Amino acid sequence: MNTIVIDHLARVEGHGGITVEMEGDTVTNVRFDVFEGSRLLEPLLRGRRYDEVATILSRICAICSVAHALTSLKATELAFGVRVSPQTELLRELMYRGESIESHALHLFLLAVPDYLNYPSATALAVDKPAAVLLGLRLKKLGNLIQETIGGRAVHPVNAVLGGFGRVPAFDQLIELRSAVMQGMTDADAAIDVVASLPAADFCHSDTLYAALRSPNLDSYYAGDEVMVVSKGSRAIIRAPEYQELTNEKAVPHSHAKHSTFRGSPFMVGSLARLSVNPRRLTGRLAVAVKRLKLVLPADNPMDNNKAQALELINDVERALELIEQLLREGVKDERPVPVHPRAGTGTAITEAPRGLLIHSYTYDEEGRVVSADVVTPTALNAASLELHLRRAVEQCPERDEAVISKRLQMIARAYDPCISCSVHLVRKR
Amino acid sequence: MSKPTVGIFGLTGCAGDQLVVLNCEDRLLDVVALIDIRDFLMASSDNDTACALDIALVEGAVLSKRDAETLLAIRKRAKTLVALGTCAVWGGVAAMDRGLDRAKLLEEVYGEVGCGYDSTPAQALHEVVKVDFNITGCPIEKEHFIAAVGALLNGDTPLYPEYPVCTECRMRENNCLLIEHGELCCGPITAAGCNARCPELRVVCTGCRGPIGDANPSSLLATLQERGFERERIAARLRTFAPEGIVQ
Repeated sequence: MNTIVIDHLARVEGHGGITVEMEGDTVTNVRFDVFEGSRLLEPLLRGRRYDEVATILSRICAICSVAHALTSLKATELAFGVRVSPQTELLRELMYRGESIESHALHLFLLAVPDYLNYPSATALAVDKPAAVLLGLRLKKLGNLIQETIGGRAVHPVNAVLGGFGRVPAFDQLIELRSAVMQGMTDADAAIDVVASLPAADFCHSDTLYAALRSPNLDSYYAGDEVMVVSKGSRAIIRAPEYQELTNEKAVPHSHAKHSTFRGSPFMVGSLARLSVNPRRLTGRLAVAVKRLKLVLPADNPMDNNKAQALELINDVERALELIEQLLREGVKDERPVPVHPRAGTGTAITEAPRGLLIHSYTYDEEGRVVSADVVTPTALNAASLELHLRRAVEQCPERDEAVISKRLQMIARAYDPCISCSVHLVRKR
Repeated sequence: MSKPTVGIFGLTGCAGDQLVVLNCEDRLLDVVALIDIRDFLMASSDNDTACALDIALVEGAVLSKRDAETLLAIRKRAKTLVALGTCAVWGGVAAMDRGLDRAKLLEEVYGEVGCGYDSTPAQALHEVVKVDFNITGCPIEKEHFIAAVGALLNGDTPLYPEYPVCTECRMRENNCLLIEHGELCCGPITAAGCNARCPELRVVCTGCRGPIGDANPSSLLATLQERGFERERIAARLRTFAPEGIVQ
């Protein structure tokens, strides 16, 4: 056995593969190949007006379209010094929670769980175990309902605009949404049951560096402008304007996704990173669920990202309910968007997309036309760490059977929940 | 009667149209039960990548030689090939760079390494193969996907609105963003089918469904120019989703 090639990774978003080269028992090279086409959105973005940027850049990825659209709005608002209302902030956070519920439910139940139970797809799994698949579909639908109610559409939201919202959802819509979210609580608990019942997936151990947004109240995907990087015993903080210290992007021949390292080390972003950076979120029902899932933080097994997503389903549903209740308590106002006055400047926004840190940074001229733009996506940030874990999995696999190794590699890649459309670097600062 | 064999494919894009298929949620398993999905890489790791297909649904644009080869292979296998979403139908957002020097752009984004990448100017599916029909939208509407499957199962051709977003917007009794508010709204030339989602939310239509068949862009251009919008800005807006289009 010299080379293992997984030509086209299934049950992930986009087009990627894995190649492992070996000499005897020694792994000489591991690559996560991204051959998703490059859309090169930068040239068309340059010169475009500020009010078109979010519409275009949400199209980077459908599953993360809320995160792309809202991170884009946040970056432009920062560049122009626009402050949105507290109500807008609550509604945007709610959209993030909806997207996270939808994305995690999709990934866990339709893409990842079939692996653990040896099924090729959720539809095949549904024949024998319909309850698990239907549970996933219900949670997914709840996430979409939140995104539709607030954002106007589940994929590529249209209602979130610079300065606020086109039309703020009505009181009655939020009442309806609240009852759907309350029902979702039971499903989120049931999701923990499903994940706790899965066979252990223990393919590699490796000390891992985690990076996530450090939000002011420790529980926001949207607010905040500091990233914290943690590993066993150390931590560092990077502020949004200095984000390149974290990204250090480097183009590599085998992949249309650039690779990032922090002070020379790969790092992981996403659910597991968020829980590792903000462990204080794990109280109440979450603390109980952590014990049921036997999750120890900081984790050294990347497969634990699936457990972390299940935990976040509970957290997201709880947080969505809190947000809706706060909006109802304070009374939703039919606000118009805050007026936006373009000026020359740079804005850098960092938020937590379902798969981890997402950075949009734009520079505008005095008329509000894009001079340059940079987008750094979670899957691109994760690429170096994924390759490291794939390498460890081959090294630590006691068997030298290609089928066994290949399945392990695919499961690890899927646990990272890669979103390959996103990873393809579209735009770049000049 | 045996179930029709179906393949669902993504070329280069955001996977949003495949996601809409998965977003059928409570009806997904019912739809799946009526058809025989043989090849759907985003949802399954057990695919027959060579079998003949009654229906192939293809999303995304052609942006590389690899995409073009994939599409040609799908065409050979498929009795009916459906372009799914605005990128497949019109080229979509990635097609905005047509006419610019691709090698230069790759170098700009990736540095020297980029010169070796397989990358071609964005094309809609119909520019590479024969397309039997289109389901447009960025993303497509869930109901249109379900209606299309229903029509195909009955041997019919799916039908879609042949009027602009304005018609739906007026039926919803919205104030006109273009005439009454003087905003740059693409409703008059954009294919309906979204039930005027954006103007209903007081947000202008950005044309994400692509132009209507008998669109009259010069009339819209004149209306907008009268209201003080520069030609270049209007053209950029109209090219965003359907570059071939409408205003050169």
